Parts: sequence; C-alpha cells; structure tokens
Amino acid sequence: MRLYNQRIDNVLAVVTLIFLAVFPLLASDFRVELMGKFLVYALFALSLNLVWGYTGLLSLGHAVFFGLGGYMLGLAYSLQNGVPPFMSRFGIEEIPLVMRPLESVPLALLLGILVPGVVAGLIGYFIFTSKVSGTYFSIITLALAMLFEMFVVNMQAYTGGFNGLMGLPRFPVNGEPLPLTTYYFIVLGVTALAYLFTKWLMETHFGKVVKSIREHESRIQFFGYNPARFKIFVFTVSGMLAGLSGMLYVPMNGFISPQDVGVVMSTSVVVWLAIGGRGTLMGPVLGALAVNWLSNLLSEQYPTLWQLFLGAVVVLIVLFLPNGLYGTLEHWWKERSLHRAEKETKAVLLTESKVDLKKARWRA
Amino acid sequence: MVMQQIADGLGVAGVLAIAALGLGIVFGVMKIINMAHGELIMIGAYTTYMVCTVGHLSYYAGMVASFLVAAAVGLLMERFILRRLYGRPLETLLATFGLSIFLQQFIRLVFGPDGKSVSSPFQGTWMIGDVAIPLFRLFIVIVAIVMILVTAWVMFRTRFGMQLRAVTQNRSMSECLGLNTSRIDALTFAFGAGLAGLAGAVLAPIKTVSPSMGLDYLIDSFMVVVLGGIGSLAGTALGSGLLGESNQLMTAFISETGAKMIVFLLVILVIRFRPEGLFRMERR
Repeated sequence: MRLYNQRIDNVLAVVTLIFLAVFPLLASDFRVELMGKFLVYALFALSLNLVWGYTGLLSLGHAVFFGLGGYMLGLAYSLQNGVPPFMSRFGIEEIPLVMRPLESVPLALLLGILVPGVVAGLIGYFIFTSKVSGTYFSIITLALAMLFEMFVVNMQAYTGGFNGLMGLPRFPVNGEPLPLTTYYFIVLGVTALAYLFTKWLMETHFGKVVKSIREHESRIQFFGYNPARFKIFVFTVSGMLAGLSGMLYVPMNGFISPQDVGVVMSTSVVVWLAIGGRGTLMGPVLGALAVNWLSNLLSEQYPTLWQLFLGAVVVLIVLFLPNGLYGTLEHWWKERSLHRAEKETKAVLLTESKVDLKKARWRA
Repeated sequence: MVMQQIADGLGVAGVLAIAALGLGIVFGVMKIINMAHGELIMIGAYTTYMVCTVGHLSYYAGMVASFLVAAAVGLLMERFILRRLYGRPLETLLATFGLSIFLQQFIRLVFGPDGKSVSSPFQGTWMIGDVAIPLFRLFIVIVAIVMILVTAWVMFRTRFGMQLRAVTQNRSMSECLGLNTSRIDALTFAFGAGLAGLAGAVLAPIKTVSPSMGLDYLIDSFMVVVLGGIGSLAGTALGSGLLGESNQLMTAFISETGAKMIVFLLVILVIRFRPEGLFRMERR
C-alpha cells in the first residue's frame, strides 16, 4: 500500500519537475517570469502546508513571514546606493543603525530566513504554551497580518510605505543581475529542495508525532509528548521557509509592497492550499501553480467573475472535497491500489492453497 | 480636549458594539467562526443604500430592510453550508471565508467597485460646553444601547431565547425534550446575521459603502467579542466600550494606526493570558 501510495507522488513530482525544467526553453520571457513567480508561491504554499496541512494549525497570517523575508532583501537592495529616495524624502540622511546590517546582501539573505524564524518562534511560543485553541490561533494570526500590513504602510520613511520598494534588481552577482532563466532555475531548485525536505520530515519520527497532533492532540500527550514544543518547532521552520519564499519573490517580481505581506496574501495562500490539497506533498505545488495560472488567464478578462468563482470553489471544496483536488485524487488512487493488492493477495493465497492440497494428496 | 476625546471614543465604541453584537451571538453563543460577518455588514449597508439613496425611502425603513435581508442571507448560509460543518471549526472558518470572497465579488459584480454614499438622517452637532457631539454619533450610541438591550431581552426574556440557551448548554438533552434544535440553530444564526445587517445600516452614513468594507469590521468585531469574553452580552458591550475609548484616547498622543496597533497587540495579550475574556468571572 505504501509503495503504491508513494508511486503517484513520485511520478507526479517527476513529471511536474520535468515540465517546469523544460518550460523556459519553450515559453517567452514574460511567461517564464510568471511561472517563476508562481513557483515562489508554490514554495510559500509548501511552508504553510507544514503548519496547516500536517499539524492542523490554520495560520491566517503567514504572509507576515513571507513579507519579513521579502522586505529584508528588498531593503538590502534599496540600501546599496546609500540612502534611498524614500528615506531622504523624510529628511533621513544616514542609514539608521537598525538597518545597517542590511547593507550587506549576504547578511540580509541570512537575516531574511532568521528573522521570520525568530518571529515565528516567538509567536509560536507565545500562543502554543497557553490553552488558546485552534480557532483563536487563526484569529490571532489574522490580526497579526493586518497589524503587519498597517505597520509597513505606516513606517513610510523606512519601508517605502504604501508604494513599497520598487526597482529591485534580479539577484545581482558582482553588480550584474542574473539572467532570468538562471534565476528561474535557482527558484525551481529551492522549491524542489523544499518539497524533498517536507517529504523527508514527514517520514521521520518527528513527522509522525506532528501528524498525530493534528489527529488527536490529547492522545499524543498521554504518550508523554509535549505538543506545544512540536508546534513551536514546526511553526518556526515554516516561518523560515516562508521567509525564504519571500526573499526569492523580490528578485523575481522586481518590487514588494504592503499588499504582498498582509491579509490578502495570507488568505490567498490558504485558498491555493485548500484547493490543491492540504496535508499532501504535491497538493500545495499543484494548487499554487494551477490557481495562479488560471487566475492569470481569466482575471484579465473577467476579474470579478474569477474571484466569484474562486470563492464558490473554496466553499464547495470544503463541503465536498475536504482533502482538496490532489488529496482526493491521492485518496482514490490509494483505495484503488488497496483494492488491487487485496485481489492479488487473494489470488496468490488461492493458488498456494491448491498447491498445498495437491501436495497433501500426493503424500497421502 | 480630553472630554472631546472621550465623547468621540463613545461614538467609536458604539460603532464597535453594533458591529460586534451579531458576531457575539454567532461566535459567542453558537461557537461558529463566521469569516463572512463583515460581508453581512456590507450587505446591510448596500440594502440601506438601495432603500434610502436609490429608493428615497426613510432611513428607518432602510434599517428594517437591512436586518431582514441580512437575516435571509444568514438563513441561506446556515441551511446550505454551515449546517454540514457543525463541530468542525476550522472547516467552518474556511467555508465562510470562501463565502466572504463570493459575497464580496457578487456585490462588486452587481453594484460596481466604486463606493456608494448614504446621507445621514441627522445633521448638525450638539454642544456641551466645549465638547461637540455630532447628532448622528449620538444616534449611534443610542442605537447601540437599544440593540444590546433588545438582544438581552430576546436572549433572556423570550421563549426563543430560552430555547437558544438550552440548545447551546446541552444540545442532546434539549433534543430529548422535544426542541427542534436545527430550527433553533437556523433562527439563531439568522438573528445574528440580521444584527450584522443592522450594523451595516447604521455604519452606511458614516463610512463609504463599498464591497470590501467588511474586512476591518470582521477583525474589530472578533477583537471586541474575544476581549469581552465569548458568550457574554455584557462582555461585548464592555469590550467595545474599552476598545473604542482606549483607541480614541490614544489618538490624542499618537497616530490613528499606531493607536490601533497598540490596542490590537494588547487584545492579543489578553487572549493569550485570559482566553475567557476580561469580563467573565467563571472559567469555562
């Protein structure tokens, strides 16, 4: 059963990887850039999948970590040529002390993972060590997303405010921005690694404990595990991964704005994951890619209708396909192979018993 | 100066109380996380716009109509979606979230994305010494108080309220005693939705009526309900008072967003250390 179950994941993952790898050879630069952006979204969805899909904690503010990562790198690029215009406009002549570390891009790359991780760890510690239940966690994280968005808009002198940070280069090495395709493959590589990491993590003992927290928290507590510690750890890792995706987003997109780090982004990723299938390996990837491509195709002509459709799909998915599209497919596949395996075993048993009978007769 | 801030804060508190009251019923009593609460408020506001600005009818007719329309939408929501998801809070949250997108876009499709306005039925201000109180603000505070009292009356003095409390306290026992619990669920949700619609009617003259107006009220309302203690009507009233006043008093010293951020962070602290709310004596 295990074998059959893994096969569909592996097959789909390889097919998707091959498709994504040859995509830049066939498509125009415009589309490659789009696909690169959606790949970043897939990585972001993978990070939410760790907390929501496997641990059962619905974070409605995951864009906070995405944004922290993105703004670290965005600010680092903005600071490369001294005080950026959005700062000097407010009479700031020197780069503030807090932002000095961001003058170094490699350090910013490190901070873009560490800062979201630390923030996620603190939030996790703060929430999970109390008796606050799952739904409160969702409300608190939603409020945090709103707060963070307000904060970024409000700190105009330091974050570029409502307009965000613009004109960010594509990951320059020695002053030269990377070619689009090269950067695309970096993003693809990182996303594939994140996929493999999720797969590995969920097969370890740790992953099993985490999944059983989702299924039955008090039962795992009776076994002597402390669910709070596991939740904090998963949330921290997920925050770091979200920060990484935010960082990859900046060079691909060329700008980052408060809309990317607040309620809208946080809820979008929830939608991709719900449609793709939470708690599955390929669900987040396929969900993010498919929803965004469709959205891109349809929203130009029918922006309102598309959103209307998306809302209805979310409701229908929750009611009828709670495992999402991919989750349902996987489930169906599992049932089918289980059924087959059962048949095969029966057949084998039957022939074996006939052989036995013959032997018995012969002996007699 | 401080008196003016307190008076303004009372108006903000009134708005919060009105917006949160419906959620207080739905989330507090029925334990349903309704992410489409803000959209119910928005539907109420659009109903008022249709009745008053387009239909040239009286503002009070708009209030009644928005209660009825939002209650009808709530009834449909409960019948077709929420009823299948009772006891699964995260899934309810997700479904109502999808619904909030749907309703928002539906209204956008019908009325267009630009904001609409509803003219205030009361113009002018009332002066007490140096303190200026716009009459409509006063009206909001009065409506808030009346709404809370009426809700309290419905909950504690009517047959329906008694049944509602019985169902939330012990569902299976109420069922054994012959209560039609699914009908009571539907009516309770519709009542909460209607209150949200009424909130929309009251908010329409002071805010721009737009398809995306709901989100702010959703988070504000959750904060109020959680701060006051879920399932407690008095808590919702006190919570909105505290939230509105502290918000407004702080704007005397710092920016409006700054004040809002500090207040929200404080509420999150309260949720962390007193999940049962500030004004609730007994522990759940």
